[in-house]
Amino acid sequence: MTIQRQYTLPHCNLVLQGLSANEHDPMSPLAVLMNVECHLPGATDATLTGGREFLNSLVAAVSRYGQQLLSGVIRPLSTPAAVPPMVDLKPGEGRYHHLIVQQQPVDQPVTDTDALPPLDIKLTTVQFYDLMEAVDQLLADTQTLPDLTAQFQAVPRRLVKPAEPMTKRAAPAAIGAAALAAAGLALFFVPPPVFEPSRPEQQTESSDGTDPLAGDGADNLANGDNRTDPDAAEAAVDRLEAAPAITDTDIIAVLRQDLANRLQEAWAQDPLPTEPLTYRMVVSEDGDILGYKYENEAALGAVDTTPLPQLTFLPVDANQPVQEAVAQFIATFTPEGTVVVEPAGRRNGAATSTNSEANSETAPGRLPTLGAQINDGDRIRTLNSTLYSSILDNLAPLSANEPLSFRVRLDRDGTVVGYEPTNAAAVLLAEETPLPGLVARANSDSEQADFLVVFTETGVLQVSPWDGWPQ
Amino acid sequence: MPVNSPPVPQSPLMLDALATPELAIDECPRRARTQLDLLLLAIEALDLGGSEAMLAACRELALDGLVRGRVHLWLLRSTNPMRRYSQRRPMPLNEAKALVVIIANLARRLTVVIRQLLLGYQQLTDKQLSLDHHFRLADYLTRFRSHFRARMNPRRAGVIAYSTDEKLNELAIQLLEQLLLCSGVLGAERLWSSLFDGEVS
Repeated sequence: MTIQRQYTLPHCNLVLQGLSANEHDPMSPLAVLMNVECHLPGATDATLTGGREFLNSLVAAVSRYGQQLLSGVIRPLSTPAAVPPMVDLKPGEGRYHHLIVQQQPVDQPVTDTDALPPLDIKLTTVQFYDLMEAVDQLLADTQTLPDLTAQFQAVPRRLVKPAEPMTKRAAPAAIGAAALAAAGLALFFVPPPVFEPSRPEQQTESSDGTDPLAGDGADNLANGDNRTDPDAAEAAVDRLEAAPAITDTDIIAVLRQDLANRLQEAWAQDPLPTEPLTYRMVVSEDGDILGYKYENEAALGAVDTTPLPQLTFLPVDANQPVQEAVAQFIATFTPEGTVVVEPAGRRNGAATSTNSEANSETAPGRLPTLGAQINDGDRIRTLNSTLYSSILDNLAPLSANEPLSFRVRLDRDGTVVGYEPTNAAAVLLAEETPLPGLVARANSDSEQADFLVVFTETGVLQVSPWDGWPQ
Repeated sequence: MPVNSPPVPQSPLMLDALATPELAIDECPRRARTQLDLLLLAIEALDLGGSEAMLAACRELALDGLVRGRVHLWLLRSTNPMRRYSQRRPMPLNEAKALVVIIANLARRLTVVIRQLLLGYQQLTDKQLSLDHHFRLADYLTRFRSHFRARMNPRRAGVIAYSTDEKLNELAIQLLEQLLLCSGVLGAERLWSSLFDGEVS
């Protein structure tokens, strides 16, 4: 008995005709498939017809293309490309799809004259979906063709073509190799550089005349005869006199250790001195030895056996006063072959004593510890604003390129009792600030409070209580 | 007979139709995680109550043993590497199967809308008109764009590729087509298999 199975969707109508296996059972599957018809209303008026081979090809093509749309991965054809499949699907421009059907079966003998061109049907996505759904319903239907079932297989990794063609992927590597070859070719013509080792003595020789390798005292010893030039000695004295002292004990300790190591390392110990050689040394914050001066007679005679002339830093302009902070040390080269370095107070030197006296008139040293402290929060706030406005009234532009911070002490009435610079730049530039003019010695018996005053490099004044704002 | 251990939880029968692929490691590849999340995002843009519908579908399909509520669903979706708050945890295959079934189910319910939007899109592009002429389509695209931009990490290379409205619209339409394709009778199987294209050994 001939039976007909139909799968109907809005844009696709798939009809299968065949002989049923069991004549009396209307639900029995098709034993023989005779004809397949596929109508695509809206897409084409032609009816696609064919036998089992056409159906198989249609199912394979639709299934393959559907998976391709879902994953975006191009699936290679299972059959070799020499034989074009009876039904094929290709993406079109925009969001269209092309259903290409060979109208003549390939295996029938046809002459070139009556070979029809393949039918090209343009499908929208919805139309393609209806075709696919018709095929899927056929695949899922166990009562029409039970042998035709869905076989979904993901594409193996090795069959996936890389997204970029080989030439494009090889381009960066080729460009790199070409650039390397070009660079090699260009450098081939460049002569190899001739290495001339520079002599380390060159530096000291060239600077003999202007070198102010002086301590803070009178004599300039390092290079023997040339060093007795009084002008150079004067200049050196001027330079180091104006230099401020490093007050931070941590920095001094580091500098001392560093100096001892360097002297010990550079000292040839040949010959060893018969008695201790003692020098006063001036060292900058960076660790450069700016000058030195003998402290005993033996040291004067044996200066060339010590590494001091080699280690001393040579300034560019000897007449310019030294602006950076310096520390002084007493270095002793003992007859046992060791170098002992100890910090030296500034007041020991003749030249620096005047310096420190000059400082003491304007810059008070460390403030004594606070006796009676003001604990009244309101009073502290009032004092803070008083101090702020009185400094601001007298504030002139500063030449500092880093913040200057001071600890300023006020008594209960708002009189400035004293101040103390708390960083190196503040020591140097205290005179530029209005603080020295504000100090009025009051009786130190009354309650007092400390404030932190910061002049930032941008010219902003910050005043706050030393112990933080009262709660 | 005394039982010493609780019975091994059975995975729902409907997941058996989805064959476990031969992967090198037992978790979802990167592209699959991204694709699942984007499809769910498109469903949300299509249907205002989409996120509730996902949970409801999960209960109806008896998959709440695999996708345990709103937070777990969010955690699963956050395995998408494009996400702003991407979770660096694997997505097990069973959970991915559940998501596939949920997507196919919701897509089937939304078939009518999806067909309308795609037909409208095709007509507008044929006449070279702006997509704003179709109100529902414009609505869908706007919602999709805002969802995408709100949830994806704009610094990821994969997301930078969709920086313009046009690119996002194209993605939205592509997802719409994919939703249509997995709304059929074999939709779940098709979607599941497509997730591993180019990944199986």
